[in-house]
This record gives sequence, structure tokens and C-alpha cells, in this order.
Amino acid sequence: MASYLVRRLIGVIPVLLMVSLMVFALTQLAPGDPVSMLVSDETSAEDRQRIVEAWGLDRPAPVQYLSFLQNAVTGDFGSSFRYREPVLDLVLARLPASIELAIYATLLAVLIGIPLGVLSAARPNSLLDNAGSLVGFFGVSMPNFWLGILLILVFAGTFNVLPSGGREPWGMDLPSITGFLTIDALIQGRFDAFWTALRHLALPAIVLGTSMTGIIMQLTRATVAESLREDYVMTARAKGLSERVVLWRHAFRNALVAVVTIIGLEFGALISGAIIVETVFSWPGIGMLLIQSITYRDYPLIVGLVLVYTTLFVLVNVLIDILYTTIDPRIRMK
Amino acid sequence: MGIKRLLTGACIATMLMGMGAQAEEMTRERIAVGITETIQGYNPYGDAVVLIGSLWCKVYGCITRFDFEQGRMVPYLAESVEPVGERVWEIRLRSDWQRHNGDPILAEDVVHSIERTRNDPNSMRQFVVASIESTEIVDDRTVRITTKEPDATLPDNLSLLPVTSKKLYDAYGQDADRNHAYGAGPYRLVEISIGNHMVLERVDDHPMVSPTNPYQIMYRIMAEPEQRVTALSNGEIQIAQGVPPQLVARVDELPNAHATFANSVEMMFLAMNPSTHPWDVKEARQAVAHAINREAIVAALLDGRATLLDGPVGEGQFGYDPDFRTPYDFAPEKSRALLEEAGLSGVEIDFYTPVGRYTTDRQIAEAMVPMLEDAGFKVNLRTPEWATLWANVQAGGVPFYYMGRGQMLDPSRALRQYFETDGSPRLDYSNSEVDRLLQAERRTFDVDQRVATVRKAMELITEDAPAHFLWLHQMAWGVADGVDFTPRPADRVDGWEIHIRQD
Repeated sequence: MASYLVRRLIGVIPVLLMVSLMVFALTQLAPGDPVSMLVSDETSAEDRQRIVEAWGLDRPAPVQYLSFLQNAVTGDFGSSFRYREPVLDLVLARLPASIELAIYATLLAVLIGIPLGVLSAARPNSLLDNAGSLVGFFGVSMPNFWLGILLILVFAGTFNVLPSGGREPWGMDLPSITGFLTIDALIQGRFDAFWTALRHLALPAIVLGTSMTGIIMQLTRATVAESLREDYVMTARAKGLSERVVLWRHAFRNALVAVVTIIGLEFGALISGAIIVETVFSWPGIGMLLIQSITYRDYPLIVGLVLVYTTLFVLVNVLIDILYTTIDPRIRMK
Repeated sequence: MGIKRLLTGACIATMLMGMGAQAEEMTRERIAVGITETIQGYNPYGDAVVLIGSLWCKVYGCITRFDFEQGRMVPYLAESVEPVGERVWEIRLRSDWQRHNGDPILAEDVVHSIERTRNDPNSMRQFVVASIESTEIVDDRTVRITTKEPDATLPDNLSLLPVTSKKLYDAYGQDADRNHAYGAGPYRLVEISIGNHMVLERVDDHPMVSPTNPYQIMYRIMAEPEQRVTALSNGEIQIAQGVPPQLVARVDELPNAHATFANSVEMMFLAMNPSTHPWDVKEARQAVAHAINREAIVAALLDGRATLLDGPVGEGQFGYDPDFRTPYDFAPEKSRALLEEAGLSGVEIDFYTPVGRYTTDRQIAEAMVPMLEDAGFKVNLRTPEWATLWANVQAGGVPFYYMGRGQMLDPSRALRQYFETDGSPRLDYSNSEVDRLLQAERRTFDVDQRVATVRKAMELITEDAPAHFLWLHQMAWGVADGVDFTPRPADRVDGWEIHIRQD
């Protein structure tokens, strides 16, 4: 297992190199430039040139890239053109917000998608199955930004029961320990703050989790339905096991590898999908930061953020591989 | 049964989540303002955005400020700002104001701030001090500034210069901005969350504030207009910047808030680069000016919320002439005649517009296309992403475009940039008489004489039509009941102009 993990983690390095090279090349090829976007309309040509030189943008692109790599090895991803802060500091300050949102969205999707998928598979063409399919289609096809605005209008506007955005209210004053507000609140015994953080999480997590719910539900339904047609299920029934045991312990367990795979893939996609949701809800995560950095052609921040997304995606997949061995003991890490 | 349980659970969850909703209601002490721009960081010179710059002037104080009641620049941290020679200005600082930590505001602070604006590697505001050649400290409270050439617009530039402390910078370097942000303005900095919000707190003994001004103000970034309006409706914020036309009616229908309007100082215009064909032909430019039905566009697409321009500036801006009328009324027949006369009927043009940068920009450009085609142009509408378009405009690569130019309380810098020979490549316009007038106005220290010169230059530019001046958007703001706030042009949300009703 340990050697497998080491190999997988070493395998991340060429992936990161490729991604960084591609993103760097694309940012260079894209029209527009950070100086035009960030300095005042009235800045003189001489001052512009000074800024170009200060940011190293006058150097040939390969030199810029190699310089970036050289610094990145030491953990220095440069400074954001827009915020003039180290990229790593900016990303680390916002990463917990994105991960916390993604975790709650995933929890929501798993808690709704899996039971609905299993029960739909157990009772094909029933009312529950049809309702489940509807939820599945709704989730998969609903655009995030539209659903987000709709929920803001209904729950923050019309009924005024949930906040319209942000991660915490003004003046919550919760000292940060882990960066995850709900966990920090629980650690410090601040149940009021926990509740408040949960309320702020509610709408963005629902929006973010909706499409994942649909995908998990549909995949669970299909794989469990397939499992239910297998011989071992017939054997289990013949042994006199209850339908609940057959369904959950035998059919669902065998379908779990596929379900966990899709949860892993979706979790990665969820973090990148949060770009839109974070913007709609003013959620202070790395998604909103990425949107702002692209708008301003903030090259160091764009590259840094994409690398973080890539790393997260790869790590989640490694985690899923490890989970496979727990779910199905026949799978060995080699 | 399963579905029933699920629905019941969902209802209970929603009700529970709603318990204790909206703790962020306005108090008599503090309000939140939903803004559209991001906050870059702690460096007061690090952001070129107008609104953020004005926030730093609230904290540190700037040398001058624009008084909207008087319609001109007035001293702010300064007691007086006077020309004492053709290129020399003398600034006398107030003696009765102090920094928030009790330090005096000194002449060395002014010089330090000018130097930092120019040389700080993180400064994005070099343009503010571009005209300054040298500075000289006369005494603790007096500074002399020598400009590179006679510059009557210096007081305007100095309204964009936060005066930070040399002593604190020498002691702490860049860390002074973050941990020792002691200014002399009426509000002190409490907190910044980069890209999220900024919190300011009233300095109770400051002469510019009163007890009805909010004690704390949070400027909260909310990029999505629906969210700003919803947050206004449920009390999360009390002032919402930038309410788009389609949401104004919703704000007005709110039981706890209303919409209010202010002209922007951003001229919206159609730029026609005369160094490109067919815009090198004056008749083609005039044909465009006659072809656009501005009244119809404002009525249909802006819900009437724009003030038509007769030149580069409107009422309340420096140099505005209420008696001047543009020669270019909406007259499609004149357009067609002008194009035919120039032999340009059917000429193909590329028309560029930003998308999402200005209020209903794309829709406005789309409405202009048939108007231009009716005049005889064959129009290709181009809608590149903003960063691409803006970089190309600045490089002079866009011949015909719809655009805005802000920061025009005093239009001098903008006129120079767009209409003076070699002002910038973005329009590439050249007219020796306009050059002469613009150079003369910058040398004219008598305000009345300067107004007359600026007006003459603007009349000439309008008539020659390198740009067709369209309108100033009326920017809609949402304001909660219980808050007295009249929005000002140029996106100012000054704490001393916000009053929380005490009833």
C-alpha cells in the first residue's frame, strides 16, 4: 500500500508539470494582458513599461516559465499581480472555504442520491422510481447559476429564512483553527456559530450538490438494478434473507465501487464547479478567486489555482483508490 | 411513505434553518454596503478602482476632495492649495487634524505619499503624480510642488492621493499599511478580507462626522446584482451599488427600501479612429452621429435612466455648458446624404462593443446596428471578451467601438488622453486647434478662464466628431428605509454623507 501511494504521488509530478505548462502557454496565448487590466486608464506608457518590467513580463515566455518552475520547487508560486500577495497565501486562505462547501455538497448528494437510487432500483417503475428519475434529470440538467439565483430569490428574498451569500455574518468573531468554520465552531463549543455557518452553507451546498445528486442517484440506480439481476442475489434470496439485507448488504455493496468512483470524480468536479456557485453566493473560496484572476489576467494566480485544483483532483482519486480496498477486499494496491 | 418522510424532513430542515434568520439587520451603529468591485489589499496605492480609491481617502485623507454641492475641488487635508508660480503649487496642511494615533500630518508625509505613489512596486496609481517634477518641504506644514509643465488640474489629481505616514512607513515598511493604518480621515480601517470586504469605523472626534453617521460601515463585495438586491430586501445590506435597470422596479417595490439615482461621470461614447478608413472621412463620422437614435435607446433599453450628452461632459462636471447643443440630432436622412456625398454608401465597418462591462452594453450595440445600416453602413458587430477588447483599444487596434470613460469630474485628463495629438493610441485623433486649447486650459489657473477654454475645446471636438457622445448613465442605488443617503456621481459612498435616522 505504502509503495503504491508513493508511486501515485510521484506520478502527480509529471501531471502538475504538464498542467502548469499548458496553463502557462494558454495564458500567454490568450489576448489581453494584466497591465492593461490592472493599471489605471491614465497610466503613461513609461509607467506601464516599468510595471511590465517589475512583473517580469518583458522576458521571453520560456524564461518566465522556467523561472516560475524554479521558484515553485521551493514553494514560491510568485505574487498575484492583482492582490500583490504571495499566491500560496491567497490560495491557502481560501481553500478551506471551498473544501468545506464541497464536502457539505457531497454529503447532501450522497445522503439523498444513494438512498433514492437504491430504492428506485428496488422498485422499478414505481412512483418512487419515477420521482427519483425526475430528481436525477433535474439535478443533471439544472444550470448552477440559474438554480443559485432562484434559491436566493426564494429563500433569502421571498421567505427571508436564509442568508443570500457570504460565509459568515458580520461580527461572528470565530477564531480560526482549521479554517473550516463548522469544525472550528464545534471545537470551540460555539454552537450558535456552528448553526450560523451551516445556514450560510445551506444554499450554496444545495446548488452545488444538486447535479451531483442527480448523477449519483442515476448511477446508483443503474448499478444496483444490474446487481439485483445477478445470480448471487438470487442465491441470497433463496437462503431466506430479508429483502432489505439482500438490497443493502449484497446488491448495493457490489455496486459501491462504481458509486464511490463517481463520487470521487464528482467531488473533484465539484470543487471546480464551485467557480460559478461561489460567484453567485459571494462565497470566499478559490473558485471566486479564479474567476477574478482570469478577468484580470493575473497569470501567477491562474497557474497557482489551476495547480491546486489539479492536485486536489489527483489526491481525491488516490483516496478513492484506497477506499476500493476497504469496499472490495479482492482489490489490492500494487 | 418514503416520499412523505422525505418532504416532511425537508420542510422541517428549512424551517429550522430559518430560525433566527437575518441577524445582520441594520442597527443604529452600523450598516453594510454591497459593492461590485473587489478589494485588492491593504496598500492604499495598489488599486486603480475609483470606489476603492475613495475608501482610502476616507481612511487616510487626501489633500483635496470634490465638493459636489460646490461642483469643484476643495481642500481636505490641506488648508489651502494655491498656485504660487506658473509651475509651482503651495500646499498648506491643516494644523487641527491629527492621525488616528495622535500623530500630526506633516509636509514630509505628503512628499512621502507622492514618492510612494510613483515608486512603490505595488502602486497602480502612478498617473496621479505623473505631472509632478519635484517637491520641496518648506516647513512642517507646507509643501511646494513643481509640475513638469503648467498644470491647472493638479488639485484634481491630489484628490486621488491618500496621505500616509512617512514615520510609520520608515518604521514598519509595507507592514505599516496592514497593521498601522493610521490616517487622518473621518473613518479608520478596522478590517480587510481581501476580495471579500472592508470594514471602516467612525472617528468620533473628527470634524467631518456627526453622531448620525454610521459608526461602522462594511463594504461587502457582491458581484451578482440579484444577490445585492435580495440582500437589501432582507436587511443583510443597507445600500446596494449598481442596481441594473431590470431590477430597479423590484427595489422600488420592496417594503423596506427604495431606489435612488445619480448621474455617473462616465461619458458613454462611440469612438471612431480617424487614422482608419472610413473614419478618416469626417462625413462618415458625422453620419454615425446623425444615425443613432439615442432617445429611443435610452427609453427602450435603459428605462429612461440616462442623461443625454451634448458633448463630453454633463451637468455637475467641470466645463459643462448648459447652452451648448450638439449639432448631431437624430436624422437618418442626413446620415444617408452624408455617406452618399462622401461616396461611402455600403461601406463595411467593424463595430466593437464590450459585453457586460457597461449597463446593457451588448443590447445597446445591437440596437445601433440597424440604425447604422439604415444610414448606409454595412456593419459587422464584434463582441470580444473585455480583457481582449480593452487591450486592443489601448493599443490603438480598434477602429470603431462603444465605450465609457470614467473619472471625469474634471475632464481635462480624459480629453488629453483621447483628443490631444499623441494623447494615447486609443483614438489617434489629431487637431492642432484642439491641441492648442487643451494645452492652454491646463496652463490656465483662473477657474472662469479655464472653464471657457475647456468649453471651446469640447465644442470643437464635438463638432469634428472623432467620437459621438451619447449619455451619462444614471446609476441606480438601493437604499434601505431609515438610511438617508443621496448617491453622488463617481461611485462615492462617503460615511459622512450617510445618516441613520434616529426615530
